[in-house]
Amino acid sequence: MGTQLGEPVSVDAIGLPGGSVARRGSRSWRLPFRGDVLSRVGLFILLVFVLVSVFGRWLPLGDAEAVNAGPRLAAPSGHWWAGTDSLGRSVLPRLVQGVGTTFVLAGIAVLVTAVISVVIGMVAAYYRGVVGEVIVRGADVLFAFPSLLLAILLVAITGPGMTGALVSIVLICSPLMVRVVRAASLSVVGRDFVVAARVGGASPVRVLAVHVLPNVAGAAVVQATYALSVGMLIESGLSFLGLGLQPPKASLGSLVHEGAVYLPIAPWLVLIPGGLLALAIMAVNLVGDGLRDALDVRGVEVRR
Amino acid sequence: MTAPVLEATDLVIEYATKRGRVRSLDGASLSVGAGQVVALVGESGSGKTTLGMAAGRLLAANAVHVAGRLSLAGRTVYGPDGADEAQNIEGLRALRRDVLGFVFQNPVAALDPTMRIRRQLELAAGGAKDDIPAALEEVGLRDVPRVLRSYPHELSGGMAQRVGIAMALRRRPRLLVADEPTAAVDATLRAQILRLLVARCREQGCALLLLTHDLHAVAEHTERIAVMYGGRVVEHGGTGAVLARPMHPYTRALIGALPGEEASGQRLEAIAGVPSVLRGPATGCAFAPRCPEAMPTCHDTRPVHGTVDGRDLVCHLHTPPRPPPDHDAAEPHPINSGEAAR
Repeated sequence: MGTQLGEPVSVDAIGLPGGSVARRGSRSWRLPFRGDVLSRVGLFILLVFVLVSVFGRWLPLGDAEAVNAGPRLAAPSGHWWAGTDSLGRSVLPRLVQGVGTTFVLAGIAVLVTAVISVVIGMVAAYYRGVVGEVIVRGADVLFAFPSLLLAILLVAITGPGMTGALVSIVLICSPLMVRVVRAASLSVVGRDFVVAARVGGASPVRVLAVHVLPNVAGAAVVQATYALSVGMLIESGLSFLGLGLQPPKASLGSLVHEGAVYLPIAPWLVLIPGGLLALAIMAVNLVGDGLRDALDVRGVEVRR
Repeated sequence: MTAPVLEATDLVIEYATKRGRVRSLDGASLSVGAGQVVALVGESGSGKTTLGMAAGRLLAANAVHVAGRLSLAGRTVYGPDGADEAQNIEGLRALRRDVLGFVFQNPVAALDPTMRIRRQLELAAGGAKDDIPAALEEVGLRDVPRVLRSYPHELSGGMAQRVGIAMALRRRPRLLVADEPTAAVDATLRAQILRLLVARCREQGCALLLLTHDLHAVAEHTERIAVMYGGRVVEHGGTGAVLARPMHPYTRALIGALPGEEASGQRLEAIAGVPSVLRGPATGCAFAPRCPEAMPTCHDTRPVHGTVDGRDLVCHLHTPPRPPPDHDAAEPHPINSGEAAR
């Protein structure tokens, strides 16, 4: 035994050869999703959508709710970029407003979902007995309903409007997220470092907040992205059925609904908001896939 | 002797599984004195880990305390009839915090992958930020600033285990439970890590319960050895005496199965048979089916706890089911017949 307590091993010595393997810390200034073109495209589209939904109202596009601003049902042209609707309103500002409504509503709902689900999911994993079982079965019951049916049921209770849409999205997205977070937490709470924390006298709240949460955050973020696309779909679905945000406020779903009657003579009224919704959901899903790959160690190994 | 820091008496722990109860501890008794370094040996499934985890009431949720008691630093962890610290969660947490430390088998898994080492050391000491570099220097780590900045995956196994030892000893526990602390470490580092662990414990006057398979390390570092089989501590005494002159047939078989000074071509003696899974209390001695010296009583009468030559034994060969023998009994021990049988 040459050395008493080991050679002075430095981290570099055991660490990462050259610069080819990125360390998490040094990655931040680079473009996200290295080598993942689809996710980058998705992220770019998503960013445009988010910017439009946040700042769109200040764009000089005209009034979204001004009736008879132009001719009725005009086709897209140099003057009316996205045409006009049956009341002679310019569609372009209505689209911008619709994107804003859909994104902001779904975004808020997903944030609420994430907070609730992460807490419930971690608790279900930590208290595996009766508490955990009740939570999981409760999630299963919600899970069993077809999502739009559940949404309509909830709106019937709350009445049409923003609250109904919010509650619907939260209740529809939570069960899956609770299960994902619980599954991730289950694998964490059994690990030695959690036992070590408990040996140290840490309270359950401390164990969950300090040790479990950071370890399941990745899974939760990925799941939240998918929940965002589901949320947008539900919000649009409810609006399409006239159960979401009430006119004259626009959302992508209500725009499709308003245009549906004129589909044979003014197809752009349906195609443009429908296409935008599809594009937005695709972008969100691409970002979700990218995040999943980026946060999953095994995925990284495989791709390199 | 000072008051024991860990005292288990006839502790019975079962695990509720889908296919019924499995008995992991079947009346285990063990006493660890303050500052003692005690090895707990026995094959897989003998209940070592269950006993170690029971010390902090850290068993899995499906573990059921059936009978017996266990106390830690004089405070009851498992009482005879539910009268224990579990009714008082705060008390249990305070007890763990004040008395107990753990060192785990897989050092990397024992560190939180999302946290830098410095933060983990702070948390291990309840947020205290002082002396953190010193704590790492004490466990023989060089390049301390760099280690403090690192995440666990950036450390080697040996470094991680040193960090683990530093964390476990941060709160100056009175009992450190080390569950095969060197099993996941490179063979060349094993001796170093173990020496470090024992040395640090002795410096702090902390008792060490070392769960291990490594009898060579046991011989070198520990003063007492407890041998477990079938959920009971079957022999417990001074390390030197037990290894030199094992009394329980299982201890003897364990030592016999150890690679040592055999001539080339000579076979190691394996212990015949496989360990049994207990579904309830063993009717006789759990080792009887595999014991070369089993007597008829061994199969149908549970051996009781006895003391022979200052060591605790659970074996009919030494503690026949009659009044326990005196400590200084001069009568010849049947151990001789055992030697002859080999």
